[in-house]
Amino acid sequence: MSFDVQHTALREIPVLLVTGELDLLTAPRLAEEVDRALAARPSLLALDLSGTTFLDSSGARQIARSARVAGRSGAVVQVVCPPENHPVRLVFELLSMDSLVAVLPSTDLLGRDCRP
Amino acid sequence: MSVPISSRVTEEALQHCADEPIAVPGAVQPHGVLLAVTEPDLAVVSASGNAAEVFGAAVLGRTLADLLGPADLAALRDGLAGDLADVNPLRQTVAGEPVDLVLHRRDGLLIGEWEPVAGAEQAPAAWHARLPAVLGRLAQSATVDELTTALARDVRALTGFDRVMVYRFDPEWNGEVVAETRRDDLEPFLGLHYPASDIPAQARELYTRNWLRLIPDARYTPVPLDPPVNPLTGGPLDLSQSVLRSVSPVHLEYLATMGVVASMSVSLVDRGRLWGLISCHGYSGPHRPSYTDRTAAEFLGRTASLLLRTAQEAGDRDRTVEVAQQQARLVAAIGRAPRRPATALVHGGTTVLDLVPAGGAAVRLDGRLHLLGTTPPPERVPELVGALLAAGSPVTDRVPRALPAAGDLADTASGVLAVEVGGGRGDFLAWFRPETLRTVTWGGDPRTTELVEDDGRVRLSPRRSFAAWSETVRGTAEPWRPYEVAAARDLAASLAAGRLDRAEEDDRLAAALQRTLLLESPPDIPGLTLAARYVPSARDVVGGDWYDVVLLPSGRVAVVLGDVAGHGLSAASVTAHLRHALRAGLLRDLGPAAALAALNDLVARLLPGELATAVVAELDPRTGEVAVASAGHVPVLRVGPDGAGWLEVARGPALGLLDEAGFREGRATLSAADRLLLCSDGLLERRGADLADGLEALRAAGAAAGALPAQDLVDRVLAVLDPPDADDVTVVGIALSPAPPPA
Repeated sequence: MSFDVQHTALREIPVLLVTGELDLLTAPRLAEEVDRALAARPSLLALDLSGTTFLDSSGARQIARSARVAGRSGAVVQVVCPPENHPVRLVFELLSMDSLVAVLPSTDLLGRDCRP
Repeated sequence: MSVPISSRVTEEALQHCADEPIAVPGAVQPHGVLLAVTEPDLAVVSASGNAAEVFGAAVLGRTLADLLGPADLAALRDGLAGDLADVNPLRQTVAGEPVDLVLHRRDGLLIGEWEPVAGAEQAPAAWHARLPAVLGRLAQSATVDELTTALARDVRALTGFDRVMVYRFDPEWNGEVVAETRRDDLEPFLGLHYPASDIPAQARELYTRNWLRLIPDARYTPVPLDPPVNPLTGGPLDLSQSVLRSVSPVHLEYLATMGVVASMSVSLVDRGRLWGLISCHGYSGPHRPSYTDRTAAEFLGRTASLLLRTAQEAGDRDRTVEVAQQQARLVAAIGRAPRRPATALVHGGTTVLDLVPAGGAAVRLDGRLHLLGTTPPPERVPELVGALLAAGSPVTDRVPRALPAAGDLADTASGVLAVEVGGGRGDFLAWFRPETLRTVTWGGDPRTTELVEDDGRVRLSPRRSFAAWSETVRGTAEPWRPYEVAAARDLAASLAAGRLDRAEEDDRLAAALQRTLLLESPPDIPGLTLAARYVPSARDVVGGDWYDVVLLPSGRVAVVLGDVAGHGLSAASVTAHLRHALRAGLLRDLGPAAALAALNDLVARLLPGELATAVVAELDPRTGEVAVASAGHVPVLRVGPDGAGWLEVARGPALGLLDEAGFREGRATLSAADRLLLCSDGLLERRGADLADGLEALRAAGAAAGALPAQDLVDRVLAVLDPPDADDVTVVGIALSPAPPPA
């Protein structure tokens, strides 16, 4: 499955739908798209990884970087990843990514849990 | 196959036009008399119908001795002894009037054409005196533009026509007016294009042999030849070299619709190919330059023809030099910024768009696309260029023909010049040219050729309307010149070479760095058996894995396995940082959790944006006690005689995730039969497979390995898990030595 990032919005929260494999090769694409989304100065930016099929440490690094970049411009990044997306979920748990960004099981909870 | 009626009719008419016997029309124009005579008796075997009137008697069957005065006859006989080109014209007197006699031989006959001097226009005598200056000006023209402009001006000064144009043919014989001088009140024709059908193939062929045609009055009534045959050949009399030759009625109609009364054209021939025409129009009435002036005009045409090649090459040379200079500037810019060639090409003072004349350009390097100028939309560019490269037509001035699917891009990309940048990453440079004929003005619509019935046959009639109008010929662009293509390819080659140098340099540096990171073999530590395997990734020479063994002051031994996110030189340098920092932290002997916390501090402060995982196992070889701390790393497997299981460790966050992080230690005591396995995630990761499955596979492989010694265990799990070579893989095995040293 080829990598893609689509810009959508939910309840006026900008959401990036990240599909395919997020890894060393595709992480720069995510960086660009996050930059573009942050240009609109949102207070909250969601990365929806429901359709992400693979995540490696470079992909995780990019998510961490994006969260930091967003923080500098006053925005909070939240990640959506349902528990059944094991490949991604396990990497998050392994790296304790939830200590940096909120990892939500569904988009329903977006914006309702702003713990870092 | 069904052909639409209209196209069938047009083809028939065009065929008829192409068949029209323009060299043997069987008639002449009425402004002179033609006699064909045999030699040496000079007996008239064919004559134009107006001969009797001019010579005052029937001419057929008589000889020129009967028709000419003695002096004129003697001059004629003298002339026939030498080269006819030297005697033309012979000034004679017929019926008391001065006439110019022009002679040539054809198919065994001597053809004489008598043209009254009265009624012919003479250029001012001063013009002929200026001829050397005129020729000098032509010869000094540096470009084709200069040459044709000078030519049009001089031919008009010589012949006095209302308009003199220079036409140039394109490879498909469409004509363009490239130079013009005219009476001020006339509408300009400069820049107009004419379709190839305006000058049919047999006319072009004739024009290549006969350099000058004159029609003093296009409204003339042709004067038939009697008889129209050559008695020596039995065929029609060939008038292709005749100055009085009657022209095609199609051509006369063409002139009439343009309002042209008098017309003259001189061929321009470059190395045997008809390059163009000097076309002269008179609108105000009949106009007949004298034979001498016509000869001078033909002479200018022939001189210009010889100069064409030089002028074209000089123009090409100037442009070639210009392109080469731009290419040198771009290569220099890349040289100054070898790691950012795209920036140099796109944002520099000279950009790729300056290399060759084009509407837009695209640079795709390292998978990133940059566009300049007017191009197809970014999402279509890689597809368009890729398809043209795949189709084997990376240089085209007709994209819609080469690639029908890209026909909708003709607006911006009717012409594409694409070159691959080596390296197998799909990188390229491309230039785009818009549809040029969109902006071209045609003299008449080439698609609406009118048809008239004439003698029951379908005939072609030139267009009635000559108001210039814009024609949209879709999908054709200005062609790419060979030196432009060469410059583009050279630039791509420079890029590829620079990239190769850079890649080699990076690989060399990274490999050197990694050699310092990976131990040749684990150190010999009393009481411990250590085994390690490192498998580099196939994609990159260097990954971010490292392992380390540190003998601590307390007598314990710290075994480290870490993994920095990313690959290549930058990952290798981060890895070097982390390895040495962690060593320093471990040597403080405050335990693995404290060392990892200090390391996280360092990443947060000195290496922001980097992410790494690491696991540290501190063993006491004397007691078998082990303390383990992990920063987001895959867990440690303990393989015992009764099976295999994960060592209980409270995992902390990956290094670099948080500015401050705390880690906790898990503790266990190894028996002599236990072995620990530390690995990087490269051993477990599979695209499309769960990491959890990988962990379970590792546990199962460990369990199945039974009592294998550490090194064999490491090799076994590598063999069983057979990791893909996408990432580098490190596995370290630890066991207590069979005979621990005395405490």
